[in-house]
Amino acid sequence: MKGAKLHYLGSGLSAIGLVMALAVPAARAQEPAYDLLLTGGHVIDPANEIDGVRDVAVRDGKIVRVAAGISPQAARRTVDVKGLYVVPGLVDIHSHHYGYSGALFPDDTALPAGTTTVVDAGGPGWRNFEDYQKKILRRAKTRVLTFINSVGLGMGGEESDVNDMDPRATADKILAFPDLIVGVKNAHFGGSGWVSVERAVEAGRLANKPVILDNSILSWTGRDTRTKVLEKMRPGDIHTHFYNDRHVEILDRRTDKVQPYMHEARKRGVIFDLGHGGGSFLWPVADRAMAQGFPPDTISTDLHAGSIMSTQSDMPNAMSKLLLLGMPLRETIHRATVTPARTINRLPEIGTLGEGRTADVAVLQMQEGVFSFHDALNKKRLGTRRLLNVLTVRAGEIVYDRDGLAFPNWDAPGAYGRTR
Amino acid sequence: MARTRTLPLGLALAGICLLAAVSGGPLAQSEPIYDYLLRNGHVIDPAGGRNGRMDIAIAGDRVVRFGTGLPAQHAKQVIDLSAYYVTPGLIDLHAYVNSQAVFRDGDPRTDWRNVNPDHNALRHGVTTVVDGGSTGWRNFESFKTLVIDQSRVRVLAFLNIVGAGMLEGQGQADPADLRVDDAVQMARRHTETIVGIRSPHLRGAGREGLNRSLQAAESIKGPALVEYQEDAGFEYRELVLGRLRAGDLVTHTFGPGTPVLDADGALNDTLKLARDRGVLFDLGHGTQGFWFRLAVPAVRAGFLPDTLSTAMDKTSLLLPRADLMTTLSKFLNMGVPVEELVDRVTARPARALKRPELGTLREGGLADLAVIEIQQGQFGFLDAGLARLRGDRNMRAVMTMREGRIVWDSEGLSRPDWSQAGSYTNYR
Repeated sequence: MKGAKLHYLGSGLSAIGLVMALAVPAARAQEPAYDLLLTGGHVIDPANEIDGVRDVAVRDGKIVRVAAGISPQAARRTVDVKGLYVVPGLVDIHSHHYGYSGALFPDDTALPAGTTTVVDAGGPGWRNFEDYQKKILRRAKTRVLTFINSVGLGMGGEESDVNDMDPRATADKILAFPDLIVGVKNAHFGGSGWVSVERAVEAGRLANKPVILDNSILSWTGRDTRTKVLEKMRPGDIHTHFYNDRHVEILDRRTDKVQPYMHEARKRGVIFDLGHGGGSFLWPVADRAMAQGFPPDTISTDLHAGSIMSTQSDMPNAMSKLLLLGMPLRETIHRATVTPARTINRLPEIGTLGEGRTADVAVLQMQEGVFSFHDALNKKRLGTRRLLNVLTVRAGEIVYDRDGLAFPNWDAPGAYGRTR
Repeated sequence: MARTRTLPLGLALAGICLLAAVSGGPLAQSEPIYDYLLRNGHVIDPAGGRNGRMDIAIAGDRVVRFGTGLPAQHAKQVIDLSAYYVTPGLIDLHAYVNSQAVFRDGDPRTDWRNVNPDHNALRHGVTTVVDGGSTGWRNFESFKTLVIDQSRVRVLAFLNIVGAGMLEGQGQADPADLRVDDAVQMARRHTETIVGIRSPHLRGAGREGLNRSLQAAESIKGPALVEYQEDAGFEYRELVLGRLRAGDLVTHTFGPGTPVLDADGALNDTLKLARDRGVLFDLGHGTQGFWFRLAVPAVRAGFLPDTLSTAMDKTSLLLPRADLMTTLSKFLNMGVPVEELVDRVTARPARALKRPELGTLREGGLADLAVIEIQQGQFGFLDAGLARLRGDRNMRAVMTMREGRIVWDSEGLSRPDWSQAGSYTNYR
C-alpha cells in the first residue's frame, strides 16, 4: 500500500556491484566449480535443519554445496541474495492444470510464485492421462506430478459417474507411470453414499499410493467427516480443503472447538491439506483452528483461473496467511516443502536443499507494511508481513527473477542479448 | 429515506435525473443511486482531458458522474482512492492470448506459448487486450469461441494474414496460405473483434507477405500491425518510409531488429520521418521488442513509442516480465512522466485501433478503469536482452473494474474486514 515501508531488496541491491561476475575470462585455465552461487541469503532448509546465513552452490542442475563463505571466484554466476530467504522450491500438492476451463499452465503461475513442483489434483483420469502428458507435462519447466482422478475421464468427464470409476484401470495407469503419478484424487462427487471414496481408496490400495479427497458433507449425501476420516481413509491419505466448512466438519458449530475426531484422525496419520483455492479458506475457521493448535499439514493452493483473481492465493500468499495466524516462518516453509514432499513419497528427492538434490530453489522476500489478505467470501484481514517470491531456480536454471538480481546492468559493457 | 430528504434539492434532483437516465425508469428515493463512489483518486484520462483529483460514481456497468465531494450516502459503497491514480481501463495493443491453444486436441503445432488473457491482463489494469495475430482466417473462429467469448477482459484481435496464424514449428511461409480475400472475409464477419491485420511473422514471406497484409488492411479500413524482418528483401527504411500507410503500426520498436540509433548513437532520422508520415510505433516488448540499450538513448532524445504494449507470451512473462504494469514501470524509471505513459496505453492505442470509445472515461460510458499505485523503493527491471535497469519506483494495479464490476482488488479496497462481517459461513 502506498506509504507502507517496503524493504524491497533490502540490502540486496546495494551489493549488486559485487554480483556482476558474469563474464568469464576467456583465458581462465580452469572451469569454475559452480554454475550458480546464491550468496548471503538466509537459508531455511528444514529437512537438513539449516536455518541461518549460507551460500548455496549449484552445478549441472544439482545442489552441490550449502555452506558459509563459498568463494564467488568458484562460480560462473553469483547472485547476492542478502536480506532474502533461500528455501527449497515450494511444493504445491493441489493445483489444476488440465481438464477444465479454469486450468492454468503450470509455468505461468507456479514459477513466479517460487513453486517448482506442482501436483495436478485430478485433472486427468486413466483414459486421458497420455493426452495430458503430451499437452502439459512435456511442455512444462515446472516439475509436474499428478494425483490421477478416480474417474476415467478426470475433470473433463463427469465426476459423479460411478460407472467410470474403475479402481483396477486407475491403479494400472499409476503403475505404468510411477515417476509421474503420486496418488489418486476423488472430488466433486454429486451422488450420495461412500462409493466414490471407496473406489478411490481401492485404486490407491491396489497401487500402494495415497488418495486425496474433497467431499461434500451436506446431510443428503449420507456422508460425514467423522466416518470418513476415522473409517474410510487410510493413514497417509489426504483430506483437502481443510479450512473450508462444507468439505470437512473441522469445528463443532456450537462450541467452535476442533472436533475430537479431527485430532484422532491426525493421530491415525490422515493428512490435512489446505487446498486454498477460491472457496476453501475462511478466516473464522482458520482463525479458530489455528488458535486451537490445528494447522494444515500441507500448504497448497488449489490455484485456478478464478482463485488467482479473487483470493490471489498462490503459495507465498497462502503461507503469508498462516504467518498472520501465528505460524512461525520456519514452519510455513516446512509445510510448503518437506511435508508435501513426504506426503507424496518424494522426500528427500524434492523439498530439500540437500547436496546432490535437484537445484529447485525459491528466494523469498519478507515485506513489511500493511497488506490485505482475502478469504473465500471476499473478506479481508490486514497483516503486517507478506512473503513474496523474487527469484526461482528450477533444475539449476534461473526461470524467474523479479528484480533482475542475476543479470548485468544494461549499460555494463559486453555482449547483449538473451543470455540464458 | 430521511437521509435523502436532508440533501440540497438540486443535488438530489441531479442524482435522481442521472439514475433515471441510467436505469431508464423511476426509482425509490431511499435507494442509493450509485453502486460505487470512487473517491478522491488522481484521475488521468488524456482523451477526456482529465488530470486531477476527483470522485467517480459508478452505476451498473457505467460511469455516471465525475465530481468533487459527491455525497457518500448516494453510494452503496464508497472506496477511498486518495493514495492512487485512476485511469481508464488500459489497452494492451499487442499480446498473445490464445490461451486454450495449449489444451486443444490433436494439433501439436498449436502455439502453446499464448497466455491466459484474464489474469495476465486484468491483474495489470488492462481491460482491453488485443491479440497480435495468433490466428488467421483458418483458426480465428475457434479462438473466438474458446477464448474471446469466454474472457472477462475485452479481447480484440489482429487477424494474421497467414491462414493458420502462428503455430509452433511453422517453418517458411507458404505463399498460397497468405490469402487476402479469406482474411478480409473473416475480418468482415467479426468487425466487433477484428481490428486490423497482422503481417506474417514467418521467414520468407518477403514483399508479398507485406503487400497482402496491407491490401487486406486497406480493404477493411483497419491498421496493419507489422513486424520488420531482416530477410524480407528490403530495408527497414523502405518499410516505414515507403510502404506503411499512415495509421499502420510497426512493432518491436526498441528491439534489435529496429535501427533505432545511428552509428554515432543518435536517434535514427528514419524514425522521425516515419512518424511525420503518420506511421505508428508500437513497443511490443516480449522477447524481441525492448532493449534498454536502445530505449534509454531514444527516450532521452525524445522518442517514445506511440503505443506501449507487452507482446506477452509464456516466455516473456517470466523473464523479463513483460506484463503491462512492469513494462510501464520500466519507462517510468527511464524518466517518462506517468501522464505520458497513461496516454500511450489508453488514448493512443484507442485511436490506433479506431475505437475512440475505449481508453477514456466519460459519463454514460462503460466503467472500465484501473487504479494504480506508484510504489517507492528499490527495484530492478529486466529488458528483453535480460539486462537490468535499476529504479526507485514501481507501478502496479491495485484495482481493476470491468464493466462496473471489481475484478481485481489486490489490497482489499472494496472488501469488508472479516472481524466486522459477523459470523459467516461457506454453506449455501
